[in-house]
Amino acid sequence: MNKGIPAEYTRFNVTERIQHVIMFVTFLLLSFTGWALKYPEVENSRWLVNLWGGPRMAGIIHRAAGITMLLDFVWHVAYLGYMLATGKMKLRMKTTIIPLPKDVVDMVKNMLYFVGLSKTKPQFGRFSYIHKFDYWAVFWGMGIIGLSGLFLAFPVQAAYIFPSWSVNWIWEVLFVMHSDEALLAIVFILFWHFYNEHLKYNKFPMSMTWITGKISTEDMKHEHPLEYELEFGDKK
Amino acid sequence: MRRCLIVAFLLFPLLCLPGSGSADTFTCLACHSAMKGKIRADNNVLIDVNVDSDKYEGSVHGGFDCIMCHKQFQSNPHNPAKAGNLPRNIAALSGKLSSKAKADPVALAACVECHDEVYKGWQDSAHGKNIIDKRQADGAGCLDCHGSPHYITPKTAATSMVNRKNIVKTCGECHENERIASKYNLGTHIIERYTESFHGKKFALGHPNAPTCISCHRSHDIKKWDDPDSPVAWENRTVTCGKCHPGASKKFVAAITHKPYGKDNPIPYYFEKGLIVLLFGVFAFVVGHVILEAFSEIRDFVFRNKKEDGPHE
Repeated sequence: MNKGIPAEYTRFNVTERIQHVIMFVTFLLLSFTGWALKYPEVENSRWLVNLWGGPRMAGIIHRAAGITMLLDFVWHVAYLGYMLATGKMKLRMKTTIIPLPKDVVDMVKNMLYFVGLSKTKPQFGRFSYIHKFDYWAVFWGMGIIGLSGLFLAFPVQAAYIFPSWSVNWIWEVLFVMHSDEALLAIVFILFWHFYNEHLKYNKFPMSMTWITGKISTEDMKHEHPLEYELEFGDKK
Repeated sequence: MRRCLIVAFLLFPLLCLPGSGSADTFTCLACHSAMKGKIRADNNVLIDVNVDSDKYEGSVHGGFDCIMCHKQFQSNPHNPAKAGNLPRNIAALSGKLSSKAKADPVALAACVECHDEVYKGWQDSAHGKNIIDKRQADGAGCLDCHGSPHYITPKTAATSMVNRKNIVKTCGECHENERIASKYNLGTHIIERYTESFHGKKFALGHPNAPTCISCHRSHDIKKWDDPDSPVAWENRTVTCGKCHPGASKKFVAAITHKPYGKDNPIPYYFEKGLIVLLFGVFAFVVGHVILEAFSEIRDFVFRNKKEDGPHE
C-alpha cells in the first residue's frame, strides 16, 4: 500500500453512530414489547409480555421507545439538512445514499454474479444498493409504522385530526399498517441487515463500524471501490 | 328389607352430626347427593337430580336450606305447595319465567328475595324481555351466566363463569352460537372482532385495564345498542368510552363497532390485501437475495479460493 493512504477511513462520525445506536435499541425494544400484542392467542405471548413487566408496562415501554425512535428520526433529518446546508456534506454521485439508476444496474449485475452468469461483481460507491435499501426501509417504516403508531398511541387526540368520512375505516387501516409493516420490518432486519452486516464471512459476528465508525482502507477498496477511488485515487 | 337398610344408611349421617348444618338440607342431600342422572318430570322436562354436596357447601349459597329457593316443596318430599302459600311476588315472577325455567320456575324466581335490584334491572334488559315478554327460552337468565345455582362462586373466584377471565367466553356461549345469531339477527363474529381488537388483545394478554364485554355493555341491565338507555347507544358512547379515554369525541367513538372484517368495509380490507402483497414481495426479494449471495460466497470460497477483488490494478 502506498504511503499517504491511512490504514482506516472514518465512515460514520460520532453523531451518526449515536443516531444508529438509538435507532436499533428502540427498534429491538419495540419489536420485543410489541410482538406479543400481535399474537396474543399464542401461549408464549403472555410469557414474553411478562418479561417486560406485564402488558401495562410493556405498553409504556413500547410508547416511550416509539417516541424516542421518532425523535431520533427527526434529529437525523434535521442533521442531514444542517450538514447539507453548511456544505459539510456534499451530494456526489459516488457517495450519495439517494437511489440512482446505477443501483438498479448494480443489482442486476450482482444477481448475475450470484448465479454465475457474470464473472465480475459490480463496483459500489460509498453506499451499495444493499445499503440504500437498508437505509430507505427505515424511512418507509417511520412513515408507515411511526405515524400509525403515533395515532394509535393517542387515539382520542388523533380522532380530532381525522375527517369524519374516514372514521369508519381509518382505525382498521392504522392497525393493519402498524402491525403488518412491523412484521415486515422485523423480517427485513433479520434477513437483510443481519446477513449483510453480521453473518457475512468477513463480517461475522458483526462489522465493528457501528462502534468505531471506521473501516479499514483495505476493506474499503473491496467493498466501496468507487468511494476509495474518489478519496485516495490521486495518492496511489 | 334391603331398601330399608339403604335408607337407614343414607340417613345415618343425620344421627352422627346433630345440629351441624340444616337438618332440611341434610334430609334433601341424603338422597340427592347420591342420586345420579336425570328424571322426567310431569311436563316432559328432564331434571338433573344430583347435587354435589361438597361443591354445594363451598358455594356462596352453601349455608341455605334447599326450601329457601325450592319453595314449592315445603312439605317433604315433593308435594308442591299451593300457590297461595308462595310469596306473592315470587309466584308472579315465576309465572313470567316459565318459558325459561321449565323445571322449577319458582326456584329461579326466588333469587329476587335477596337480589331484588339486580333482578329488576334484568327484567327490563334485552335478555330479560326476551324471556318475559317474548316468552322465549333463549336469552340469558341468572343461571346461563352464573352457572348452576347450587355451585355459584363469587365473581372473584377463577371458577366463576362471570369472573373477569371467563366473562368473554361466557357471553360467547350465546353470541357465537349460530342458531341464536340467525334467530335474533345477531352477528356470530362479535366475539371474534373483539378478540382481534386492541381491547381484546390486551385482555388476552392479561392487561388489568382492558375492557371486557360488560365494561361497555353492562351486565344484568344490558340493553340493545339502539335503546337510548344502552351505554353503547350513539348518544351515550362519548360518556362510556370517556371512562377510559377522557375527551372521547363523536369521531373517536366510531372506532369500535364489532362489524365483520371483509368486503363490506372495503378500504381496510383491500388495503390489507395490498400490504400482504407488498409484504410477500419484499420477503421474497430479501430472502432470495440473501440466499443467492450466501450461495455465491460459499462457491467463491470453495471453488475460486479467493476474495473477489474490486478494481483490478
